[in-house]
Amino acid sequence: MDLKPSTEPLRRTRRPPVPVKIVIAGGFGVGKTTAVSAISEIPPLSTEAAITTVAARVDATGEVPAKMTTTVALDFGCITIDEALKLYLFGTPGQDRFGFMWHDLSQGALGALVIVDARRINDCYPAVDYFEKVRLPFVVAVNMFHGELRHELAELRWALAIDAGIPLVTFDARSKLSVRDALLAVLRHTRSRIEGA
Amino acid sequence: MTPEPDGFDAPALSHTRAFLAAGRGQDGDAAGTANDSAVSGLRPYLLTSGRAEPVDQSLEIESQVLTTDLGATAYGRLSFEYREIVRLCEDTVSVAEVAAKLGLHIGVARVLVADLAALGYLVVQRPTFPVNQDLNLIERVIRGLEAIH
Repeated sequence: MDLKPSTEPLRRTRRPPVPVKIVIAGGFGVGKTTAVSAISEIPPLSTEAAITTVAARVDATGEVPAKMTTTVALDFGCITIDEALKLYLFGTPGQDRFGFMWHDLSQGALGALVIVDARRINDCYPAVDYFEKVRLPFVVAVNMFHGELRHELAELRWALAIDAGIPLVTFDARSKLSVRDALLAVLRHTRSRIEGA
Repeated sequence: MTPEPDGFDAPALSHTRAFLAAGRGQDGDAAGTANDSAVSGLRPYLLTSGRAEPVDQSLEIESQVLTTDLGATAYGRLSFEYREIVRLCEDTVSVAEVAAKLGLHIGVARVLVADLAALGYLVVQRPTFPVNQDLNLIERVIRGLEAIH
């Protein structure tokens, strides 16, 4: 048997779909995994990404010993758009010390959905800062945990200090259609950014 | 891919990493591996023969992976880590799914997938760039999402 890489044409003609992705960011417990579960066609999966040397250095200044192996869970799901296109949703921890993952995840992303708990809005600041910095189109979505908003959206926008051009929406991370609409808001925002460029 | 400096090549595949099986019991074909947490601290380095960097470091985690006929044919000669991937990718999955379903760190999954792709055992569909400037593609995703009810 020839074990070397073959140059023969493969009998298998089907091609994998082209992947696209949207980043789902926000603080811990804000509803990222819930949102991914609500719309993903596969049960959300979780994997670990080993912390990089950069992040390890960050950790060295904090509570984690420098040589300790640290991993961070990455939750994701997917939606088949058509037979040649598949959308991935990657939920990423929204803390500064996990910022190293955002580069990988943001690279080539169609946009980002930043989920906010209106009771703890500062949890989303690192994500907002990052996406602004790398100029990835993003939408801020307030997860309506309790069915009502304690603040006016205008107040929240002021507190978030986001540009007037950045969409701020409310949604329910448990609802498939609501998550769909939030993702559509991201894509429409990306579209308008391209058209306006 | 250029040959690895340690002489890593296809014929060696079936035994160079066989020692790994010891860490995970006798059954090299075990499908469920996610629970093997006892050795997880060491595995990234063992599994990649000491290489800390992925062969193709830029392999995106959403890249789609599918086993080729060549890969399916080679199945019996592969060490179990590769076997598991070749079997999992009989249906298209992402690199992220390879990692999640086989209990591997993302970085390790990248290395193993890149190894197999370099041998022609997997075909990899990477994202096209720059996707976020492609209006037609974004319209397609929008229409796809709008169709969800």
